[in-house]
Amino acid sequence: MALSVSAGGRVWRKFCKTFNFGPNSALKRFPTCTANGRLYSTSSDNVLVSKDEKSGIATVRMNNPPVNSLNTAMLVSLRSCFEELENDKSCRALILTSQKPKVFCAGLDILEIYRKSPDYVAQFWEKLQDMWLSLYGSRLVTMAAINGHSPAGGCLLSLACDYRIMAEGKFTIGLNETQLDLVAPFWLRQTMVDVIGYRQAEMALMIGALYTSDKALQLGLVDKLAPIEDVQTVAEEEVKNWLKIPDQARAITKMASRKPLLDELRKRKQEDIQTFRDETTRESVQMSIQQYLEKLKAK
Amino acid sequence: MAAPMRGMSVLRQAFQGLVRPSGGQVCRQVQHRCYSTPGHVQVDMNSETGVATVRLNRPPVNSLNLDVLTELSIALEKLETDKSCKAMVLASAAPGIFSAGLDILEMYQSTPERCVAFWRALQDAWLNLYGSRLVTMAAIEGHSPAGGCLLAMSCDYRVMAEGKFQIGLNETKLGIVAPFWFTDVMLNTIGHRETEKALQLGALYSAQQALSIGLVDKVVPLAEVMPTVEGELKNWLQIPAAARVITKTSMRKAVLDRLRSQKEKDAQFFADFINRDSVQKSLGMYIASLQKKKN
Repeated sequence: MALSVSAGGRVWRKFCKTFNFGPNSALKRFPTCTANGRLYSTSSDNVLVSKDEKSGIATVRMNNPPVNSLNTAMLVSLRSCFEELENDKSCRALILTSQKPKVFCAGLDILEIYRKSPDYVAQFWEKLQDMWLSLYGSRLVTMAAINGHSPAGGCLLSLACDYRIMAEGKFTIGLNETQLDLVAPFWLRQTMVDVIGYRQAEMALMIGALYTSDKALQLGLVDKLAPIEDVQTVAEEEVKNWLKIPDQARAITKMASRKPLLDELRKRKQEDIQTFRDETTRESVQMSIQQYLEKLKAK
Repeated sequence: MAAPMRGMSVLRQAFQGLVRPSGGQVCRQVQHRCYSTPGHVQVDMNSETGVATVRLNRPPVNSLNLDVLTELSIALEKLETDKSCKAMVLASAAPGIFSAGLDILEMYQSTPERCVAFWRALQDAWLNLYGSRLVTMAAIEGHSPAGGCLLAMSCDYRVMAEGKFQIGLNETKLGIVAPFWFTDVMLNTIGHRETEKALQLGALYSAQQALSIGLVDKVVPLAEVMPTVEGELKNWLQIPAAARVITKTSMRKAVLDRLRSQKEKDAQFFADFINRDSVQKSLGMYIASLQKKKN
């Protein structure tokens, strides 16, 4: 947290009240409480990073309430964070999670593409591409500790990691873009195919399916389930297994497998931006988004 | 028992004349349009739901010959351009069979010209089906080997009747080889390992086995196949069409383009391959064994 570690009890209690943390909140196990924890001075509060010096495991907590929607600021912070960790020689692994349980990440901030100029949308999309390239292409062991709902962009982040642990229960995950008349870009579709196989990916993408954790596990969309309060611990345990493998061999193997898709996006970056730009200027898409926003307001 | 020889253009003209979108009989309810052809592909379009049911109808086993494939292509083309049509259910008018696949008699002791015409008709029917903008569902209410399996796999979703019916690409059992695009579709349905095994063995799977490898998506009692398909369609049709279609087309493009870019070569390859002595011998033996079973 960007808040000072030495914050007194009164401030702590107020903080907990504001963010509605229950008795089993993962926050209680925050690494800064241990002797090995070290705070990163990230430039913003929307992405909180802490690293365990001994193990080299960094935990990256998305902190953009209420639902960690990926707006420009988030995309920039996430990318900076991933790049900083990439360049930190003592860092070996990254666990991506949400500061506030029950929602991992609700996806792209719709307001960034609603009634915005094509140029604005293009710039926003490029930031998404760059963030994804830095995560999907990371040399680190990357784990998604999915402690809540994870539609669309949340699923994008999860798929970009090496391994996915999700909270048991009624939480859902999936690429539901088509429900908003949007089309997931080719590189995102490919990661879905790579994880759950072509047939399931084709169907999931066409109908914009959102799966409960049980079904996601069955499909292989996530790798393990755990009670929501244990997701972080289970992720840390899993990471330790992965870190037994000599880093270089593991990283080279990962890159060999991911290089074709990374290269393809880099090569087709502008074309991909153009596709998204054209798509969002479609009036039917803007109408779908409008209806969606009105529905949210009504709730 | 070989089918009579006909020129392609004559056949097409004949069917163009007969298949009128708003003509034909009015079946059952006012909002249905039926295409009354004397031929082998019945189309029943429900204008209210936008769902067209296309039933193969060439008793006894819906084997796919030049006529059937041509009719199927034309039916699919018409639905593709019919703005009121949003989905298509592929089914059979014959009980106990979805489709037995390609008509062996099109391949046995035929002429090279006829072989090429036949293969082109198959290619076109498949390109129309696999590349369709419609939501496509296969209601597999009977056996579905070889070409039948291809048609089923080319749909977006498959519901099969539980019980004794079988489905699979069993070409190698007859001494022939499934073309590369059949393989492509199977790979995209059940993955590499299962496809390699299935094709080499010419495996035919029961509905439950097919479900377990992902060859079909749902298995229900025979009487529930159509209602299940209709229920599934309702969900799919709630998705904004534009996004769904772009997603489908983008994902299937590579496989479709691979055939489109070499149609002539593929047709010629088939004609040459099928006319090899060894292949003709295998086909002859297979036909003889079928005759024996009959007698």
